[in-house]
Amino acid sequence: MNLSGEALRCHPSIILENSIQILVPIVVILFVARRFDISVIAALISAALVLAVLFNYRQWKMTVIRFGETDVVIERSTLFKLKKTLPYSKIAAVNVNRGIVNRLFGTSRLMININSGHNAMAPEAALTFKRDMADRIRTELSQRLYQHELPVEESGETLVSFSPADVVLHSLFAVPTLQNLLGALFLVNSVYELYLSVATDAAAGGSALISLGMFFLVQVVPSVMQLFRYYNFKVYRKGDVIYLQHGLVRTYRTSFPISKVNAVRVKSTLASRLLHRSCIEAEVVGIATNDGNGNTRPVICLLKDDATIQRLLGELVPEFVYERWPSKQPSGARSVLRVRTIIASLALVAVMAYPSLIIYGDEAPRAGMMALSPFVLPALTALAVLAFVGAARASYRIRELDIGEELFTFVNGILDRETVIMSYDKVQMVWVVRGPIARRFDVASATVYMLSSTGTKNVSSGLFPESELKRIGDIVMERIASGKYDPRRSGA
Amino acid sequence: MDGEGADGRREEAGGYRRLNRKCMRSMYIGYGIAYAVLVVMFLSIMSFAGDALGPARNAAWMLGAIILILLLAYVAVAPRIYYSRYRYMITDDKVDVRYGIVVLRHILVPIERVHQVEVSRGPINNMLGLGRVNITTAGGVATISYLEIDEAEKVADRLNRLVGTLLRDRV
Repeated sequence: MNLSGEALRCHPSIILENSIQILVPIVVILFVARRFDISVIAALISAALVLAVLFNYRQWKMTVIRFGETDVVIERSTLFKLKKTLPYSKIAAVNVNRGIVNRLFGTSRLMININSGHNAMAPEAALTFKRDMADRIRTELSQRLYQHELPVEESGETLVSFSPADVVLHSLFAVPTLQNLLGALFLVNSVYELYLSVATDAAAGGSALISLGMFFLVQVVPSVMQLFRYYNFKVYRKGDVIYLQHGLVRTYRTSFPISKVNAVRVKSTLASRLLHRSCIEAEVVGIATNDGNGNTRPVICLLKDDATIQRLLGELVPEFVYERWPSKQPSGARSVLRVRTIIASLALVAVMAYPSLIIYGDEAPRAGMMALSPFVLPALTALAVLAFVGAARASYRIRELDIGEELFTFVNGILDRETVIMSYDKVQMVWVVRGPIARRFDVASATVYMLSSTGTKNVSSGLFPESELKRIGDIVMERIASGKYDPRRSGA
Repeated sequence: MDGEGADGRREEAGGYRRLNRKCMRSMYIGYGIAYAVLVVMFLSIMSFAGDALGPARNAAWMLGAIILILLLAYVAVAPRIYYSRYRYMITDDKVDVRYGIVVLRHILVPIERVHQVEVSRGPINNMLGLGRVNITTAGGVATISYLEIDEAEKVADRLNRLVGTLLRDRV
């Protein structure tokens, strides 16, 4: 097939897919509202289904797609007219994924993302075609984008094999630590409430169920979503293009050129560090994902042991590997963190003192666990102060800065740690910031702004000497002035 | 060596430029309006809902009063500090802005990364003949604030010219 400008329509199965999407919330609302009896609900649902199908049929019929010489044009001539032109030169990636409806009808969804920070969370076009046709279109578009052809059925050898156990570990332990703690808190509370209801021979209270529901929402659902999303994970590189394949129910095939990668993050949560594992994410312009955990960057390696991670970095993204000589924060940073901790602790104590005194002074009789209530707030305040002290000590120990010739690195994170390796050529702005305490101890922090997978992204450093941080901006300028920065090569 | 022009704007050694003194007037007016709104909101909340605080009512009054006095002190001194610290410089390859009242910021934007330049004016700045230049990059927006409108237009023209030259050279 040639992208010859002939008018195409999506596969008619999108009428069903879109109608179901409209219908589901209507059905839920009707059942939750419980305003009507079942026959009325059935009639309303049938009417809604007919209307949705008619509406989507008309949308499908009146929407045509033309793959021209220089751009793809999507034109819809319904009441809400649309003409969307996506120049090939602005397209960042063309990817394919398949859900249940796609599998039933033998179709694929072609997702076209452009180099835009605006609307980055959703692809600029999601077009459903017969599977072979979607693959052929993707191949031809990829040829234009990456100057080489993609095989219709990509069959690259994955650089690292990921067993189902690896996927399960990733699903469980790549969840941010605070989210895990919150989930555990809800679980403990629901168990405690259930225990109370059994011990007192009362019916299980609603709060136990709410806590259990929150535990599922915060902990179980994100983990299951990750499990489904990353099952059968494969990653490989051909030439300058990185390919990802994964998915259990909905399958994802994603590819992007290395020039679109602005930064690479090696991430580890507290739990994964205990297992000596970390994962790799890439900040890819124009590709935003949502794995159910609030993470929007494509994961290019699931949680793996540290040696594998280092090997994969070298094989998959050697452009982001260099010999690092990281600097630790100077002693001035320790002083700044100490002063900040003291101020935060004093503020917290001042705020908590009044309610603590009121509860302590309340002479109402208390029995059982309630007898401890006057001490709960002071104890929580003391714990929070200890947490501040611990966080300050960890922050001083962990944060690193490394300024290389082509790349630079920030290491951040107390519970969930991340090493962000960035290219000077992708830096859009540099802010060097000095607060009043930092000025007193002669340190500053830097914030680097880049284009990210979801628009703009900034990464902040720890506290380092101002002169050292200013070198980042100086090197960016030097590279531009000396011609080392090539806007074509860097995908700008 | 520093030099002050008839327009109240000064150029410093090293190529940095300072703002016109009118920026302080704009900030005083803006801060004054915001402060008045805050005072009215606080008084309204305490009058209508203060009783709901019960014994904590007096403490809330005291806390609110302390915060308002501190804010008033800030409003009184902040524009002067802002003016005295603000510096900006535009060269053929970068935009460099230094400013800050409590926290000092040094922003560096390579001209190479500039996507869009925009001059905007709010009602107070419009009244005083001031404007701001918003410099948009793919990674966010940097702003040069409180420029006289002629100067803002000149800065925007210069930036647009530099970006245009860069793009032409690239082709």
